Amino acid sequence: MSDTPTRDDQDRTGMPDHGMPDHGGPSGPDHLLPDGGPVDQPSADTPARRYTDEQKYQVFNKEFMPHIDSMYNFAFRLTTDEDDANDLVQDTYLKAFRFISSFEQGTNAKAWLFRILKNSFINDYRKKSKEPAKVDYQDVETTYNSEDAESEHTVDLRAESVSDLIGDEVATALNSLPVDFRTVIILCDIEGFTYEEMAKILDIPIGTVRSRLHRARNLLKEKLRDYASSMGYNEESEE
Amino acid sequence: MQTSSSLSSSSSDSKPQMKEHCDHQVDCLKMIQLILDGEATDQQLARLKANLVSCQPCIQMYHLEQEVKELLTKRMEKKCCPEQLVATIKSKILTFS
Repeated sequence: MSDTPTRDDQDRTGMPDHGMPDHGGPSGPDHLLPDGGPVDQPSADTPARRYTDEQKYQVFNKEFMPHIDSMYNFAFRLTTDEDDANDLVQDTYLKAFRFISSFEQGTNAKAWLFRILKNSFINDYRKKSKEPAKVDYQDVETTYNSEDAESEHTVDLRAESVSDLIGDEVATALNSLPVDFRTVIILCDIEGFTYEEMAKILDIPIGTVRSRLHRARNLLKEKLRDYASSMGYNEESEE
Repeated sequence: MQTSSSLSSSSSDSKPQMKEHCDHQVDCLKMIQLILDGEATDQQLARLKANLVSCQPCIQMYHLEQEVKELLTKRMEKKCCPEQLVATIKSKILTFS
């Protein structure tokens, strides 16, 4: 941990302190850089920016605050609880301000913020979450990164069967997914991030983004199918 | 680019035969998802276009994936950040630095 890891190094290392230590140790704020810009290897020529106090507030208000609704929605979808979402968003924004010098103006602020939020969620928040963790993160990694044939399938469901579902029903189905699957669907389908951005937010390779999304969608469709058939939406599908 | 061997060479009237079954549905499904996510290559796009006139399972999967994505993007409520929280955050950062 003495060297600042490059992005690739971080991919499988279990990512220690993403909770961002206050003491600014060697693995400090650089971890935060989603490097949406040219900052692919944090190095000597990309030092922490020196913002004046005034500039800090300016960056914060101009680049960070506009994303607060998306951030809140993300937090709410992760925690499924409004109070918890409040805490998570507040923590995230305070951290973002504290580490603002590692944000480069003009780069992808939204991805940068989402990454902090997701890390806060995993490190600080999930331990004390009211919702029991349904699936351990590491478990998901190992189970679902293996390309087992079992999860490679198509779900037998017709578009017409789900077209009458309302938002709450979709939300219920989504919430019933393990959080890591829920996360990729939120990031991709609700927030519209690209695979590359998602890889950076989640610290996983792009191939894992792709396969996790595929699995997440299969799971979601199974939930939707169960839901639709329990509601009788399925009746008219002639097979 | 191999199309059906029973050539439907000439005009657009003679459509290629519609496939009812497909042996590579999982691969096609992955391709469809890439396309709907805006992550596909031109080549994959072209392949899907061809499939959409010739492969029944692809057509159905395409519609389903599109529908599910739309449920998520359009029909789920987007929670907005409470004003109170915005105010709290703004006041808290003022006491920093």
